[in-house]
Amino acid sequence: MIKLTDIEKVYQTKTIETVALNRVNLSINKGEFVSVMGPSGCGKSTLLSIIGLLDEPTGGVLELDGRPVKSYSDKELAHLRNQKIGFVFQSYHLINDLSVLDNVELPLLYRAGVGGKERRQRAHEALDKVGLSARTTHFPSQLSGGQRQRVAIARALAGRPEIILADEPTGNLDSVMGEEIMDLLLTLNREEGTTIVMVTHDEHQALKTERLIRFFDGSQVG
Amino acid sequence: MIRHLFTLIWNRKRSNLLLIVEILLSFFVLFVVSSLLVYNVYNYRQPMGFDSQNVWEINLNPGADTTAFNQKLQLTMQRLKAAKGVVGVTKTSSNTPFSFSTINGAYSYKGKQMPFNDNYDADDDFRDVMKLNVVEGRWFDRRDAASTRTPIVINTALKNAAFPNEKAVGQIFTDEKGKKEWQVVGVVDSYRAASDFAEDAPMSFRRRALDYDMTKKVSTYELPVLLLRVQPGSGAMLEQQLIKEISNVTKGWSVTVNSLEQSRVSKLKFVLTPLIVLGLVCGFLILNVALGLFGVLWYNINQRKAEIGLRRALGATGAGIGGQFLSEMLVVTTLGVILGLGLAVQFPLLGVFGVASGVYLQAMLLATLIIFALTAICAWQPSRIAAGIQPAVSLREE
Ligand SMILES: Nc1ncnc2c1ncn2[C@@H]1O[C@H](COP(=O)(O)OP(=O)(O)OP(=O)(O)O)[C@@H](O)[C@H]1O
Ligand SMILES: [Mg+2]
Repeated sequence: MIKLTDIEKVYQTKTIETVALNRVNLSINKGEFVSVMGPSGCGKSTLLSIIGLLDEPTGGVLELDGRPVKSYSDKELAHLRNQKIGFVFQSYHLINDLSVLDNVELPLLYRAGVGGKERRQRAHEALDKVGLSARTTHFPSQLSGGQRQRVAIARALAGRPEIILADEPTGNLDSVMGEEIMDLLLTLNREEGTTIVMVTHDEHQALKTERLIRFFDGSQVG
Repeated sequence: MIRHLFTLIWNRKRSNLLLIVEILLSFFVLFVVSSLLVYNVYNYRQPMGFDSQNVWEINLNPGADTTAFNQKLQLTMQRLKAAKGVVGVTKTSSNTPFSFSTINGAYSYKGKQMPFNDNYDADDDFRDVMKLNVVEGRWFDRRDAASTRTPIVINTALKNAAFPNEKAVGQIFTDEKGKKEWQVVGVVDSYRAASDFAEDAPMSFRRRALDYDMTKKVSTYELPVLLLRVQPGSGAMLEQQLIKEISNVTKGWSVTVNSLEQSRVSKLKFVLTPLIVLGLVCGFLILNVALGLFGVLWYNINQRKAEIGLRRALGATGAGIGGQFLSEMLVVTTLGVILGLGLAVQFPLLGVFGVASGVYLQAMLLATLIIFALTAICAWQPSRIAAGIQPAVSLREE
């Protein structure tokens, strides 16, 4: 379903050129749960944002459902990001001017045919799953780091996407909460067939997934 | 989406309040500038009330030749009237059209002082020479010679100020103490003699002989001036001939002839200079308002780059983002404009500049249009630019 061929990402700054991804070849099948590990700065987040259609690779071909992503129009890309992909950002990226509930509703807002009532209901469900039903009217600034992370996860769940791309979704959670989120993702993968790519630093969690990819300096090493 | 929009605006009330204040102030500046603009354009488009084409002005100065001034002037006028190429001759005071002199005062009506008005001295031929438009009553004629009160013809503006719902003819004005009296015999529609940009303000013509005893001291500005209507196409030939005619009667007097069209052009230049300066200042002011507004909005939207990136990541299209920010700004602008209109409405209500309320209404409309156009551009442009960037790039801007 997701196929990367010779994917390259070079960040160009005034002084230096950083090769964040170097000729990455990777194929992820529908329904797979893949975890990505590697030291800090090896290009994990970069990989995820390219798969998540948030950035363009500087070289190589990314295919989604057998079609090169380059051939999609801006509108089609927006549609894919909205319908197909749920992204959990490493640094949450919540809108500070919106309540927790409004934040979680956001992906559904850009989906045609989903009414206000259904939006609300699905947002409540998602918040329930991450154990935040008591915090719906709070604003992000009134939450702890772990709570924010769970809001970000709930937002990705609310859209019921085929693919979830999670960048260290348990990075700020205590081990108990981390386990719960991990179980949630595993259930989602098993019961709904959701394809999941998860970046993690936790070896223990990574071993629970069916496939583990290791990265080093922008390249896949195993 | 609309609900989401209002939630967002409400939750951002603090920064939106600042925006509203900025828009309110900008609106106010634009309103004042527009008022000036509309006022002058409005005046410019009003009828002058007279026809200055083919009218010549003759200034006579007897100098040391003070004997029998009135008789000589009388004779001169007869000769000029008889000259071929001259249609009509009238004697008036020195405040001729487009001149730099004014004579004004205020009448009292039933003990109440009227607004200040310009006064022009005229004789029975003045209307025909200037092609005035009498809309009520009549122009001066022989019958007025026997009148005990000075006969006057007023313009519609003075009539509306003094007796809006009554007939003007027969009404009597007095001076402040009630001693002098003037009787209205007619009304002209307007007479905007000062310049093309003059307001259609209250004025009156007074029927006066302008006979002076030149052996006593008389200032030059009190000397009567002749206005001649000549055949269209008359030029230097006729001018030379007329000067000769005058010299035959008045030997030592100095004579100058110039056309009202010339005076009109030079007065226009004179009036236009401050207007152009004012226009430049206004243009500068508008530029400043635009830049200020643009700066504030640009800053506002730049602060929300991460939000734009996130919305794009969650499935908003570039156009969708532009539309969202445009709608947000439209709502905020509307709030600012409503407050601004509330303030601007005080101008006609309190009569701040003494200008017709229509001027203010048009100025409000103009200012509203400008401010909406400005905010639309200011909101659309930066959000479009931001939406054109890859989501991952704008997401990093925090
Ligand atoms: N916008 C950018 N401009 C320049 N260099 C960048 C940019 N974004 C990332 N990089 C560089 O690319 C490399 C990979 O970054 P990335 O964020 O993918 O690492 P990561 O594996 O997710 O690290 P971490 O585990 O700390 O999150 C790093 O060396 C980083 O400095
Ligand atoms: Mg990372």
